[in-house]
Amino acid sequence: MASAQALRTLARPAIPVAPRIQPVMRSLVAAFSTTSLLSAAPPAVKSRKDLPKKTKKTYKKKQNIVPVKKPGPGERKAFRKRIQLSNNSALPVTGIENLEAQTMAKGESSGKMFAIPDQVVDQLRALEAFKTTQTWNLFRKPHVLVRKETVELMSKLEASVENKEAFKCVLTGSRLSGKSLTLLQAQSHALLNEWVVINIPEGQDLTNGNTEFSPIPDTEPMQFAQPVYCLKLLQNIYKANKAVLEKTPLKMDWSRLTSLKQGATLADLALSAKESEFAWPTLSALWTELTQPGQPPVLLTLDGLAHINKVSEYRDPSFNIVHAHELVLVRMFVDALSGKTKLPNGGAVIAATSQNNTHYRPSQELVLSQLEAGQAGREVPKPNAYERKYDDRVYDALKNSTVLRLEGVSKDEARVLMEYWGASGMLRSVLDTRAVAEKWALGGHGIVGEMEKASLMTMRM
Amino acid sequence: MASIASGLRHARCASSIAAAPWRSSIVPRPSFQLAIRSITNDVQKPSNTDLEASSAAESVLIPYQGVTHARVLPATPSYFSREPLFNDLYIGISKLLTKYNHLPTVPPSEAPQMPWTKLEEMRAQMGEPIKSSHYAKVMRVAKRLNLIEPSLRPAEVTVALTEFTRDINPFLNMPNPIQIDKFGRAVGVGKRKESTARAFVVEGTGEILVNGKTLSEAFGRVHDRESAVWALTATERLDKYNVWVLVEGGGTTGQAEAITLAVAKALVAHEPALKTALRKAGCITRDPRTVERKKHGHVKARKMPAWVKR
Repeated sequence: MASAQALRTLARPAIPVAPRIQPVMRSLVAAFSTTSLLSAAPPAVKSRKDLPKKTKKTYKKKQNIVPVKKPGPGERKAFRKRIQLSNNSALPVTGIENLEAQTMAKGESSGKMFAIPDQVVDQLRALEAFKTTQTWNLFRKPHVLVRKETVELMSKLEASVENKEAFKCVLTGSRLSGKSLTLLQAQSHALLNEWVVINIPEGQDLTNGNTEFSPIPDTEPMQFAQPVYCLKLLQNIYKANKAVLEKTPLKMDWSRLTSLKQGATLADLALSAKESEFAWPTLSALWTELTQPGQPPVLLTLDGLAHINKVSEYRDPSFNIVHAHELVLVRMFVDALSGKTKLPNGGAVIAATSQNNTHYRPSQELVLSQLEAGQAGREVPKPNAYERKYDDRVYDALKNSTVLRLEGVSKDEARVLMEYWGASGMLRSVLDTRAVAEKWALGGHGIVGEMEKASLMTMRM
Repeated sequence: MASIASGLRHARCASSIAAAPWRSSIVPRPSFQLAIRSITNDVQKPSNTDLEASSAAESVLIPYQGVTHARVLPATPSYFSREPLFNDLYIGISKLLTKYNHLPTVPPSEAPQMPWTKLEEMRAQMGEPIKSSHYAKVMRVAKRLNLIEPSLRPAEVTVALTEFTRDINPFLNMPNPIQIDKFGRAVGVGKRKESTARAFVVEGTGEILVNGKTLSEAFGRVHDRESAVWALTATERLDKYNVWVLVEGGGTTGQAEAITLAVAKALVAHEPALKTALRKAGCITRDPRTVERKKHGHVKARKMPAWVKR
């Protein structure tokens, strides 16, 4: 039945087909239109250009490009190298004394925290004594822990003024043990006692070939000055020691070098170098003045000792390598460290080694180990007969110094330090003997930097 | 269970069976003879001569005297069940339970640890298709018997329970306890990945040396330092002991975690009560994870080569 109906539908459609609108044959019948638009002919295709173009459809999202302002030249480096000495989020710690002239030399201040006075902070900043790797930016104000070794060093500095003899010292010790910070403490002690402080913040700046150098005429073998660095150093010396230098009159006649009035001070001499050509002669003159009897004591410090005890990156005009000791600024330091330059007013020459930023230095290692063994009364180690890279100049430069080794702090000192952290709001946990012992052990038997790493900078890992 | 129950019924009804076992009293015959014929032959023989008959009457055994069954009676009524040996075992153990049901018991945690025979093992031993449900019921009885207070346990129970235990007792396979030597040192050994650590723990003030270096020199990562001393930190013993460690093999993480285990073991030798705390801190169990081996056809353990069209 159904098939019959289906057949019928196939044979004859049930719905009649709608009548089609028949196209008007324009050629045969006249167009019935009032508009000229329809009658207009389609646009003529004259060339390939007139053909409709294929456009490829893209599904890519349009990038929302926002113009970002890139940091200017030097801005990134300045950000990296900036020194932040306070943090308003940290709690202020009350009840901590300020450092005074004799504080760090006294035995009873061992194992206590002290605040660095603001005046000294500014001077230290001018000397570039603070480092980016130190955690000053976690606390409200710069404070220092006076440890046993600090007192030992400061009493030596005091003794040097009494003896009118230079105290020559090399600070060494394991990584993050506080060598640079002890150097900073020595500088603040010197500043508080109205010494003249000269600081070379990084030994590698002098020898890695990044600063300009120029040969000094009439020297044999040829020596080199670093005029730009010297000028900057002079300005830093002036900024840090302004008060002392302005009080100190000149002892010698420097009319050959500059036109200074009668009764000029050391500050005038330091300021007389306006151009880098005169920087080294002026610095040399200042150093000569400071080594005259009757002048204030001098503290000469340098960090990164290994870098001035090597062959520098510089070349002489005939393209021979230049030993770092041929650079006059380095030589000035080395002569003072070896005792060749006497300091008749007392004072100290302190160099700190670095364990991170260093290189292979057999002579320095040898002489330091020998000095240390000699001081402790142990058997003095002999040089390795198969070592070919020993350097006699380095050996001679260091052989007259004393070695002060810095390692971890004791548990009592660690406790004082951690209490300060706790008071600053940096340490949230309960502070008891167990907590101190834990951090002391995690910090490799009280290495201060490692303790900081384990307790303060856990999020930075 | 039906077969066991029927076996039990047999045991209950025919109590004489056990008393007079058929097999022991039967005399082996000299040769095979058909039973009926031999009766007639034997009866005919003595009729020949009286003398012979009288002598023969003494020598020839008269068969079937005292015999009540026509066929060989099985030694145990379980013979007719599906699992006769197992059935007997069950009957024996149930009897023991009825007998000693009154004895005091201990809680299961205090009962002596027994290496119970597994189902597969028992099937193999007996050669019988033991059902797992039957096995479970038997083991319930055996475990109930094991709960009897050990000091009061009868010898026959102990003997019966040996049937349900394996020959080797893995619970007796204990490591040698760590001794504290005359210097007060306890040596623990720990492993993780490829690393092996030996820790010498001695009472002290909290100094730690790893291969002669301090913790900060040995491990640059603070996390590794913390995991190396975790056994001491978790039990709050960091300032009570000195640790001297030798560690070799593997990487830094492996070495640090091997030290955790080594220190924990040595610490347990000093203070056995800390074992639970250390187990909770995860310092007792060795982490068995190691590098997965490379397979052929793979680039690494799991990685497959990239698909290439032809």
